[in-house]
Amino acid sequence: MYPGPTSPVNRLHKSVSSVRSSGSRQWTQHGQNTEGETESFCQLKARLCGATMKKVLEVILLLLLLVVTHAKGTRYSPPGKPALTRCRSPEKETFTCWWEPGSDGGLPTTYALYYRKESSDTVFECPDYRTAGENSCFFNKNDTSIWVNYNITVVATNALGRTFSDPVDIDVVYIVKPNPPEQVAVTVMEDKGWPFIRVSWEPPHKADTRSGWITLIYEIRVKLEEENDWEMHLAGQQKMFNIFSLRSGGKYLVQVRCKPDHGYWSEWSPSSYVKVPDYFHREKSVWILITVFCAFIFLILTWLLHMNSRSLKHFLLPPVPGPKIKGFDKQLLKNGKSEEVFSALVATDFPPKSSNYEDLLVEYLEVYIPEEQELMLEKSMDLDVGCLKCEGSASDSDSGRGSCDSHTLLMHKCDGVKEEEERQAKEARRHQKDWKEEASTYAHVDVSPDMSSGRVKTWPSVFSPLPRYTSNQQGSLEMAKQHYLSDSLFPTSSTSSYHTQPGHGTTEAHGPGYWECGLSNKQPHLLHPQAQAQRQLQARSDDNISSIGRKQTPAGLHSPARRSTEYVEVERVNEEDMVLLQPVSGRCGDVEGYPEMPYGEDYSKVKGVDMDNMLLLQREVREETENCDTSSTVTTTQKPAACIHSAMPVEGEMVLGVNGYVDTATVCTPPTY
Amino acid sequence: MSSAIKQGQWAILLWPYLLTTSIPLDCRDEQGGLSRCPSISQEKLLDRVIQHAELIYRVSEESCSLFEEMFIPFPLQLQRNQAGYPCITKALPIPSSKSEIQQISDKWLLHSVLMLVQSWIEPLVYLQTTLNRYDGVPDMLLNKTKWVSDKLMSLEQGVVVLIKKMLDEGLMTTTYSEQGLFQDDGQPEMLEYVMRDYTLLSCFKKDAHKMEILLKLLKCRQNDIHSCA
Repeated sequence: MYPGPTSPVNRLHKSVSSVRSSGSRQWTQHGQNTEGETESFCQLKARLCGATMKKVLEVILLLLLLVVTHAKGTRYSPPGKPALTRCRSPEKETFTCWWEPGSDGGLPTTYALYYRKESSDTVFECPDYRTAGENSCFFNKNDTSIWVNYNITVVATNALGRTFSDPVDIDVVYIVKPNPPEQVAVTVMEDKGWPFIRVSWEPPHKADTRSGWITLIYEIRVKLEEENDWEMHLAGQQKMFNIFSLRSGGKYLVQVRCKPDHGYWSEWSPSSYVKVPDYFHREKSVWILITVFCAFIFLILTWLLHMNSRSLKHFLLPPVPGPKIKGFDKQLLKNGKSEEVFSALVATDFPPKSSNYEDLLVEYLEVYIPEEQELMLEKSMDLDVGCLKCEGSASDSDSGRGSCDSHTLLMHKCDGVKEEEERQAKEARRHQKDWKEEASTYAHVDVSPDMSSGRVKTWPSVFSPLPRYTSNQQGSLEMAKQHYLSDSLFPTSSTSSYHTQPGHGTTEAHGPGYWECGLSNKQPHLLHPQAQAQRQLQARSDDNISSIGRKQTPAGLHSPARRSTEYVEVERVNEEDMVLLQPVSGRCGDVEGYPEMPYGEDYSKVKGVDMDNMLLLQREVREETENCDTSSTVTTTQKPAACIHSAMPVEGEMVLGVNGYVDTATVCTPPTY
Repeated sequence: MSSAIKQGQWAILLWPYLLTTSIPLDCRDEQGGLSRCPSISQEKLLDRVIQHAELIYRVSEESCSLFEEMFIPFPLQLQRNQAGYPCITKALPIPSSKSEIQQISDKWLLHSVLMLVQSWIEPLVYLQTTLNRYDGVPDMLLNKTKWVSDKLMSLEQGVVVLIKKMLDEGLMTTTYSEQGLFQDDGQPEMLEYVMRDYTLLSCFKKDAHKMEILLKLLKCRQNDIHSCA
């Protein structure tokens, strides 16, 4: 019990009153004792002084106490509300509940725990407040029922009142938190040279797992001593676990904890330390071996490379071949004298007069125009309007181009004044095709008899090496497999220089048909030229093209630039010894009035060969469409046969093809003289 | 014979409940007997029964958690203190402490288990139908409830056989409902009904645990009575 504020005061009062009373007594006694008045008076005085001092002190004390207690004494109140913090059962057979006291209200407060089981209304008080410590209640086995809801309340009581906590319902089954596992043993074991840790433990001794009363699952965590991250492993219900993948020479910490299948995890067991012995990584040794081996091989390869560096260099980077230009002198170039170099290139024997016609065929597709021809061309050029200048004299060193692209052909690009020339041009364009080098030997014969001038000009679609060649003409006709003859009939007084020109429409034969004829290389004529002009027909095989020059070039020189590799068929030779060519294809196509010859395989039919070794060509009657003009026919009577100069009479060996055609290539042989 | 007639009578009278009817087990392992009950050793049977009980408990716990998450507002959740409404089986005389359990005999253990199992069969069937009417009920919950219901029936059969083997008593399995407690009231989603279903699930979870523990103790006793503390 608190003594109360009054007692020191009372004591003080008492002391004061005792002092007073003693004083008064003293005074009464003093009256009686007159004999010893002097000593007693002094003693009395001393006592009075002491008493006064005491009195003063006590008053001061009392005042202090009053002040102090007054300050405290106004906050007394009933106790604050306690709260149950948790209840736990370590083994599902007993359990403990802890609470948190509230404020005590300044007075001593007592706490009591009351509970009630779910099925009854009887209220019991906590049987044991001490075992579990302060502010706790321990329920032992006899008081614990499983699967039963407890309704627990804590009451705080003090002098001024009592306060109830909030009730809490628990079921022991769900509040189980076991103790940590015990006897944790960690050992290092070895598995074929690889160490691992084996951890074993026992369940907490209080938990009855043997009978199945509690079923516990365990969890382990491991970490290296110097690190912060734990590695967790769930071990299930087993009591042993292996940990692999350890660092050689590391020191590990191991901890274990457990949990019932419905409940809380226990605390971690105290750490167990284990040191893993150093072991050699077998893997590493393999890698070391491999590395050494590779290095060795690398060294050997380097040495080999070094030894064979030269040949390797040649293999990888072959030397650049030098130029193989005939007449090209490297030294001259090196010396830096370009004029000499280029002049050396201009060979005197160019174009080469080799007898290898195949070479000529492939490499040298040059058009060479002699002086006279140049003049003629020049003149003709002047006549035309807008014609391009001929530069035919310049040799065309581009060996890949056909004669269509050569300069001599270019001049025929111009539009003709005459209508025929226009038509010729159109024809030429119509028939123009791309030249292929290997097919460069197609002869394209466009004969346009110029009625006005009475001449027929044919244009050799291949190159027309002009006059100078005439001597070279042979033409091994055998060479020309694909042969084409171009017949150009030009009346010319000059010997052998010819050039052919695209022919005129009405009388010409365009198109792919080609005229096979045993035209000699020299100067066959099919027509007899006009009186004033000589006509010579010259046939050449592949590269030898007969070209008949004309005095006057008709205005209709058109560029065969767009000429196609088509053949014309000689339809007939008219009275004026003009070969009238006819397109083989019966098509009457894009160009008005010009019937087209079907491409490919049309030939003139040779009717026969007469005495004078003249091929008599047969006129073929065609069905022609309405647009087509009738093509000219070739008279079969006259003419100097193409093979007129051929040494061999033809009739002796008239080799008729399957369709009655004569393959001139086989018939006409080069003249032997 | 009379029991068979009685059974037949009940079956005819309460034909809607035939779905929950089980054929009475009559395992004769001496002669060829019924194919439905092949001979099995007692230990194995007990093990299987225990496994059944463990699984049932686990799944019922999951179902209860699922239901609680979806339909119970947080303040009303019982997860923390696990108290709740009184269970339907509170009247059953099940031992409630370890010491008590240790004192009762095997026979009572088995009968307690059987009582529990049989008293839950029908409420679970009811629970299935009622859960179907919840809005947004996950299929997993329905599947689990269905699974538990089925497994409970087979557990019942197992316990009956066990009783027959261990105690030599012939019992009948649950056939029909005698309790009219659970009608289809309709009107789900009201809090009262939700709480009722929640209580049902929680109580079943607890009882499943009971079954499991009882059976495990029984097994311990079979092995070595003295080591079972």
